Amino acid sequence: MERLPYLKLALASIALGTIVSILMMQYDWMGDAASTAAGPIDTLMDVSIIISSFVFAIVCVALGYALVKWRVKPGDEGDGLPIHGNTKLEIVWTLIPTVIVLFLAGYSWVVLNDIEKEDPNALTVNVYSQQFAWTFGYPENGNKWSEGVLHVPVDRQIDFRMNAQDVIHSFWVPEWRIKKDNVPGITTDALITPDKVGTYQLICTELCGAGHATMRAQVVVQTQEEFDRWVKGLESEVPEDLLLTADQAIELERQIQEAEQGIDGSGVDETSAENVDQS
Amino acid sequence: MAVALRQPGWYRGALGALLGAAFGFGLVVALRAISGLDIFQTEQTGYPHVVVPLITTPFGFLFGFGAFDYWFRWAAGKPTIPDDHANHGATRWQDYFKFNTDHKVIGIQYVVTTLIFFLIGGALALLIRAELAQPGTQVVDPNVYNGLFSTHAVVMIFLFIIPMFAGLANYVLPLMIGAPDMAFPRLNALSFWMLPIAGIIFLSSFLAPGGAFDAGWTGYAPLSTGAPLGQSFFNIGVQFAGASSIATALNFLVTIITMRAPGMNLWRMPLLVWANLATSLLVVGATPFVAGAQFMVLFDRVLGMNFFQFLEGGDVLSYQHIFWFYSHPAVYIMILPGFGIVSEIISTHARKPVFGYRLMALALIGIVVLSYSVWAHHMFVAGMFDWLRVPIMITTLLIAVPTGIKIFSWLGTLFYGKIHTYSTAMLFSLGFIVTFTVGGISGVMLGMVPLDIHVSDTYFIVAHIHFVLFGGSVFTIFAGIYHWFPKMTGRMYDEKLGRVHFWGTMVGTWGTFIPQHWIGLDGMPRRVADYANIYGDWNLVISVFAFILGFVQLVFFYNMIVSWRFGPKAGNNPWRANSIEWQVSSPPPVFNFDEIPRVVGGPYEFGTPGARHAIMGGEDEPELPGPKPTKVAEPA
Amino acid sequence: MESASIAVGQGAAADHHDHHGPPEFHRSARIDQTVLGILLFILSEIMLFAAFFAAYFFLRVVVSPDTWPPAGIELPVLIAGINTVVLVSSSFTIHYALEAIKHNNHPGLKLGLGLTWLLGATFLFIQINEYIHIGFTPRDGAFGSIFFSLTGLHGAHVFVGLLLLTFANIRAWRGHFGPEQKNHLGVEVPGIYWHFVDIMWIVVFVTIYII
Ligand code: HEA
Ligand code: HEA
Ligand code: CUA
Ligand SMILES: [Cu+2]
Repeated sequence: MERLPYLKLALASIALGTIVSILMMQYDWMGDAASTAAGPIDTLMDVSIIISSFVFAIVCVALGYALVKWRVKPGDEGDGLPIHGNTKLEIVWTLIPTVIVLFLAGYSWVVLNDIEKEDPNALTVNVYSQQFAWTFGYPENGNKWSEGVLHVPVDRQIDFRMNAQDVIHSFWVPEWRIKKDNVPGITTDALITPDKVGTYQLICTELCGAGHATMRAQVVVQTQEEFDRWVKGLESEVPEDLLLTADQAIELERQIQEAEQGIDGSGVDETSAENVDQS
Repeated sequence: MAVALRQPGWYRGALGALLGAAFGFGLVVALRAISGLDIFQTEQTGYPHVVVPLITTPFGFLFGFGAFDYWFRWAAGKPTIPDDHANHGATRWQDYFKFNTDHKVIGIQYVVTTLIFFLIGGALALLIRAELAQPGTQVVDPNVYNGLFSTHAVVMIFLFIIPMFAGLANYVLPLMIGAPDMAFPRLNALSFWMLPIAGIIFLSSFLAPGGAFDAGWTGYAPLSTGAPLGQSFFNIGVQFAGASSIATALNFLVTIITMRAPGMNLWRMPLLVWANLATSLLVVGATPFVAGAQFMVLFDRVLGMNFFQFLEGGDVLSYQHIFWFYSHPAVYIMILPGFGIVSEIISTHARKPVFGYRLMALALIGIVVLSYSVWAHHMFVAGMFDWLRVPIMITTLLIAVPTGIKIFSWLGTLFYGKIHTYSTAMLFSLGFIVTFTVGGISGVMLGMVPLDIHVSDTYFIVAHIHFVLFGGSVFTIFAGIYHWFPKMTGRMYDEKLGRVHFWGTMVGTWGTFIPQHWIGLDGMPRRVADYANIYGDWNLVISVFAFILGFVQLVFFYNMIVSWRFGPKAGNNPWRANSIEWQVSSPPPVFNFDEIPRVVGGPYEFGTPGARHAIMGGEDEPELPGPKPTKVAEPA
Repeated sequence: MESASIAVGQGAAADHHDHHGPPEFHRSARIDQTVLGILLFILSEIMLFAAFFAAYFFLRVVVSPDTWPPAGIELPVLIAGINTVVLVSSSFTIHYALEAIKHNNHPGLKLGLGLTWLLGATFLFIQINEYIHIGFTPRDGAFGSIFFSLTGLHGAHVFVGLLLLTFANIRAWRGHFGPEQKNHLGVEVPGIYWHFVDIMWIVVFVTIYII
């Protein structure tokens, strides 16, 4: 059994991996970046693309080499070498991927903590989603509402508090790199610090029915002064039915039932024969 | 006629279906009358008068068709008709349309049926691509579009990939372990016949008022609980498909555990058998969860329950937890049997033992164990408990390790081999290694929470899905079909057409699904009938490649059909493989063997002169080195 | 395999040419196939229950930790407790039936099976009665849904178990079954299932009524 040209194989993998990574780095995959989360996330993406390119290169080089080197000559009916395994090699290709993925996990964790760091000075914005529209409320300003257009100040952390009225929707501004589902019955939240003035699109990314594809809103990132002026101009408050949290909704339901049934509202069906008997 | 109605078969089946429908309908009416409800009034989405017959009609059909005849006689204590084997084997094509209990017939029934579903699912995909070729509305409105990709995914997953693997293994697994049939042949036949039933239910949802189910293949509540009638077809179809795959998995497990030929200990089982052992463990353990999830949705819809009605104290997110606790293992249900197939093919065509056989088997078990612990990686942005994200991320990424072991071991198998690439099966196996690696790597990126926050629910996911499912599962399915085609039909397929199919599929797959990564990263969400104009060019490219991909599949179907009739005779062992199924005639005789073979070595002993895997019955016993197989004690 | 195949002796390999039925498969494990089958089936059943228990704990712990069960709902713990005793005792009677047939005691078998069937039917009867008088319906909040689903799922299993027991009873009265394992699988297998149904009830009972 001739020795494998380990060095050549390694060099070939490195060369191919480098070429693939360089090619992949030429393009700005995720488009414009407009929040402080974008930096760390894009770097993480680049790192994982580079690592992936090398993993892919190793697989390709190994496969290509084997095919060139050991492709059978016509008429050769013989068998290959009866090698059953190689413990050292098997340990290597168990350990190295383990190290790589643990590194990726640790790095991701760091990035996650970084992009979710809370700022006490954050501005809270309420997000209300329903089929198929977005509404925004500004609690620091009497929860005045804005329909279909989201304005936020630049360079200040926004604490989005999201509520869905009917089915699940999802809040995504690609330039901010952050996405969060709006789930009926609970309030989810996302912290985002926009760092570039401009106009963007808010996209619903959770299937929510026939209008899902067009459930969008405009996002305007502006300076604090412009934002203040805009927010002052808002007039009406968020309508009652959008405000309901789950608890309130249950309470409301209960009150309606009580009004109809006139008793404790334990949910007992008044019309069932059972209860007529007892009363 | 009267006789025909008493014999099990299609006539009695039709009658049974009618009676089943009537019974279901009557049951609803009776129950509503008893509980004092309006007899006929239908709730907005509930439609109990449709939903209950939808469950009872298939059972009526199965009763009539003869699925339960034996068990009825047994239960009533009557003498059971001993298996006279009239239902074994197939001599005419009509035999494939009976309640046949021969694992080889069932295997072919499965393969042919699921290929038909592949065509249907693919046709739906092409409709999707036609709509998406340009921004704006092309062929369907958004509502219909949602139905299209939902049915596309459901047909592909529940009616093609999962049952196709069950079918291939049904054919070869008993042969490989030297068993005359599966452990429970009647249950096996029942599993198969539940499959067309599930298919009819899924597809007939197009006829329901309000259109086909359109909440995605994931059917998230509360979108699904409030959806029109079609959604109930999904809930019920999944029950039949799920019951079918649980029954098959149970059958595989019992067969593998109790019916191995003498001498075949665990470490002499071919890796395909290992892979199906692992898959079956996943099916038995996880599939009940999807059944549970769909039951809950059905209860909410039809009985007015409140599992996911947040106004009534229900919990919306619990649906996702329960659904993914099945559906993540499900993705490994859809790939592990493929790993098994590829191991067989690569070893045979590289004329070398599988590299690191034991670690390969252990890696399968490792994937099984890990895959129960990663379900929430589908929920990183779903608003679930924040603390769960990092632990799930770690387990998710760790799955790359056993999968990597498999990839590297296949490569190791090729080294120092004598690699034959004339067979299309081998081409697809090699193509699988490269393509699946790309899909797996994008999976690893999805597993990293900060990246997933950005790309979740975009076309990046669609790209990942198709790289692992098409470049992974479907490639291995093609490899398996080509590999065992000579065994199943006794004839050879055309390798030239096979090569056209392979290269066309390779180009089609990469061309269709690579650009989806790019538009996904750039901001195009999934499950949309319309999109921003900037993605128009790439989508056109994708659609063109998708149609090429679809067209190339027709070559495959042509090759299979024509070769089945007219191909040259294949002989017993065209690939010079070692495992037992190749040592019998093609196609194998009824009951596979006259005498159970004796296993005397590993399944991949290429290159060791004189080494044997099995000694077939009736052969003279050669003098063999090594210990004699120990005889397992017969039960008292 | 019902057809009595001739035991193939060590040297009887000569007659493999006129073999028509399937060859006797090689037993690679001691466990009986049907028993293994039912055990695996039970495994998947446990997972089905687990799905509903998962839903239960999400509703209880995540959504309504303070109001569980909702105000005004009083579960009939005592009746359910009595019912538990009924069902658990049926585990002993089925065990007795199995022991009896192992010692070829046919009257004991019939007695055990009959008693088990009656106890199971009593359980179902009491449970249906409980449903009627319980005072809330599956439509009443998430609690109603999960209560009726879990107990109902279990009830459906009792029903299936009863069906299997019915078959066993019929066959016992027809004089089937004998002391060897392959001759009393028709008792043993429903028995294993029945034990599972019992144990599952204890879990359901403790979860819903006690804690
Ligand atoms: C056959 C099916 C299949 C397979 C095998 C996989 C495999 C994997 N999948 Fe995939 N996945 C799906 C089918 C599949 N997936 C589907 C259908 C969905 C979408 C569901 C929906 O929402 O509709 C999905 C979605 C999905 C998500 C959710 C995304 C989202 O919705 O936001 C995630 C997140 O973690 C994920 C991760 C992974 C990982 C880590 C693997 C790993 O198992 C991959 C492991 C393999 C490799 C890594 C390659 C080989 C390894 C090496 C060469 C070793 C060296 C490698 C490294 C060191 C990196 N998948
Ligand atoms: C299991 C596997 C599987 C397979 C094999 C495929 C195969 C294909 N899929 Fe599919 N797909 C999924 C599983 C699969 N898909 C899943 C799980 C989803 C997610 C759904 C969801 O979001 O809920 C999805 C979603 C999905 C989308 C995204 C929809 C959206 O989010 O809006 C798209 C879009 O391009 C797509 C395209 C394709 C294409 C072009 C193919 C091609 O490979 C198809 C190749 C074509 C053929 C095989 C056709 C051959 C037939 C003919 C040429 C016609 C002859 C017809 C007759 C005789 C009847 N798929
Ligand atoms: Cu709202 Cu999609
Ligand atoms: Cu997953």
